[in-house]
Amino acid sequence: MSPWINSMIVGLGIPDQTIALLLIFPLVATLIAFFRQVIGVKAFGIYTPSIIALVFFMISDARYEGFDLWAMFYDLRYGIAIYIAVIAIGMGMRVVLKKVRLLYLPRVAITMTLLSFTVLGILALGAALQRTGFATVYVFPLIVLVVIAEKFVAVQIEKGTKTALLLALETFVVALCGYALLSSQTVQNVVFAHPFSVLLVIPVNVLLGKWTGLRVAEYIRFRDVLTRMK
Amino acid sequence: MMEILAQAHKILGMNARNLEYVRPLNLKNARAIADDKILSKEVLGAAGVPVPRLIAQIATHEELEAFDWSTLPDSFVLKPNRGFGGGGIIVVFARKKGMDNAWVTAGGGVITAQDLSNHISNIIDGAFSLSGVQDVAFFEERLTLLKLFKPYSYRGIPDIRIIVYNRVPVMAMLRLPTRESGGKANLQLGGVGVGIDMATGTTTTAIQGKGKVITYAPGTRMLLSGIKIPYWDDILMMSVRAQEASGLGFLGADVAIDRERGPVFLELNARPGLSIQIANMAGLKERLERVAGLTIKTAARGIRMGKDLFGGEIEETVEQTSGKRVIGSVEEVTFIGKDDKRVTVKAKIDTGAYSTSIDRALARELGFGATLDAFDRLPLDTYTLIPENEAAIKKDILAAHGTAIPNLADVAVVFSSSGATVRPVVKVFFVMDDVRVPAYVNIVDRSKLRYDAIIGKRNLGKFLVDVSK
Repeated sequence: MSPWINSMIVGLGIPDQTIALLLIFPLVATLIAFFRQVIGVKAFGIYTPSIIALVFFMISDARYEGFDLWAMFYDLRYGIAIYIAVIAIGMGMRVVLKKVRLLYLPRVAITMTLLSFTVLGILALGAALQRTGFATVYVFPLIVLVVIAEKFVAVQIEKGTKTALLLALETFVVALCGYALLSSQTVQNVVFAHPFSVLLVIPVNVLLGKWTGLRVAEYIRFRDVLTRMK
Repeated sequence: MMEILAQAHKILGMNARNLEYVRPLNLKNARAIADDKILSKEVLGAAGVPVPRLIAQIATHEELEAFDWSTLPDSFVLKPNRGFGGGGIIVVFARKKGMDNAWVTAGGGVITAQDLSNHISNIIDGAFSLSGVQDVAFFEERLTLLKLFKPYSYRGIPDIRIIVYNRVPVMAMLRLPTRESGGKANLQLGGVGVGIDMATGTTTTAIQGKGKVITYAPGTRMLLSGIKIPYWDDILMMSVRAQEASGLGFLGADVAIDRERGPVFLELNARPGLSIQIANMAGLKERLERVAGLTIKTAARGIRMGKDLFGGEIEETVEQTSGKRVIGSVEEVTFIGKDDKRVTVKAKIDTGAYSTSIDRALARELGFGATLDAFDRLPLDTYTLIPENEAAIKKDILAAHGTAIPNLADVAVVFSSSGATVRPVVKVFFVMDDVRVPAYVNIVDRSKLRYDAIIGKRNLGKFLVDVSK
């Protein structure tokens, strides 16, 4: 461990968990930027997937050696259930509330109400199955709810249900990758040993920000043009 | 795979669009005009570009309370001023008979003043604007569908998207509303995009949605290629004028055609979509780079540049779909005669003639000198050259001399405006526009004529003739 980190934890009493989050978070943000600029996975911007990655991390509340994906995702099953429930309800409520012709914010508020009760149900289920740690972080699933539900409904209005679903799926995948970074003990060890190496993401992002080539997804999107063009 | 990578630089991707075109060329002031439909109307109207007439606008809930619904005309369109992607738009066709302040919508339903009021209230609250900011609702004149487009469109009005850069219209696409897109001419919602040849304004290839290649308008047997867009030059001129007026260096111009008014400018787009490249099967980046840095002084010159540089795909498309080559009325033709002797001449393509004729001198060069000499010795003046005798003359000559004259394949009796002649026929090959064609050609004195050969329709089966070429 770097002496800087050591003195922060031991000398100043800052929780190591907090330090780990702050140091790994730039990596998550860079990963999301890479997904967008080079691969072409849009997701709901950068804020939504990173906050969801954080919430996923808090829900599973564990550290894993390396990238033990199976264990990571298994421990996240309630988080995944909540995510899917939010999207499903967001979609269903749009169909139902469309006929009633309500103003926008009240309509979102009704969607939120239903979501709250659904999460309550999932929490109860988790508690019944002795998943106690889950209930203690109850406030975070609510944050996810607000964030995704609002985003999802907005995109649904803007670009249609199909696009919104695709973006929700992309957000989910990106958030899972971010969650894998956040909950890996190995990554934490590396950033604790070399905290300033995290700053390397800045030149990486400068490169990403100047990247004007086609995204991987665009090679697929324009495949007909690419093969038929003279 | 390597081919695809080599072509990639021709395509404009999202990264390059934003970083190299939208960001440096569409500055804040210009984008502010594009994102504000009412302001767009004012700016374009002042520049002499026709726009849909503004009927009324409602900016606050108080104005909405005080609004007199009876002032609305029988048909109109209600739009959010800062809407995007066609969201929040209500199209009204007519007043509902027997009801006060009720109208029939494009979808066939009835909408009352109360419904409109709720919708406008939503618009004012920002339900349809980018990032939900407060917005203004406005009513504008409803455009009517051009007859030409009727069989291709579902409910809504098609429009024409033109990308303008540096005063040059570089790429265009006809957008058709479909059942899937809910009557909106929006590709993302499942509308149809049809590429347009810049020079002629004729449609080429088509896609539906984000990139499914189609040939016919959905649910019909109406071919999407070959539609001639009316007012094409006016449309190009309007879009270049709109670029000048708005200051958007990289503009996606949307123009619709009204049955009575002709072309009307619909919308300025500061971030035009990239699917237009698939509709046209062409790369936008390559085109933009060809126009970059040129000094284009006037709109007319920019249009001419766009037509010259980016027109002409039609021909290739026709060639691809028909499998035939498009040739002009005069073409360079290489004849291949005896012992692979080759002579290249300019030949007239004559669809009025049945067979192909070549000049005597050309025939000699091709190695048919002996044929000509032997044929000239025949006592041809003993025949009476009238059409009824044609078959008998041929049979007679071939029977009497067929084997004695080298390389004689047939005998032709040709009746033309300059009189009737009996001509020897030989078998050759000719190569025109890279196509090799076997041909029986007759030999005649063409020394006083402009071209040494004419190609008749009998040998033109693999070609289409474009007389303007």
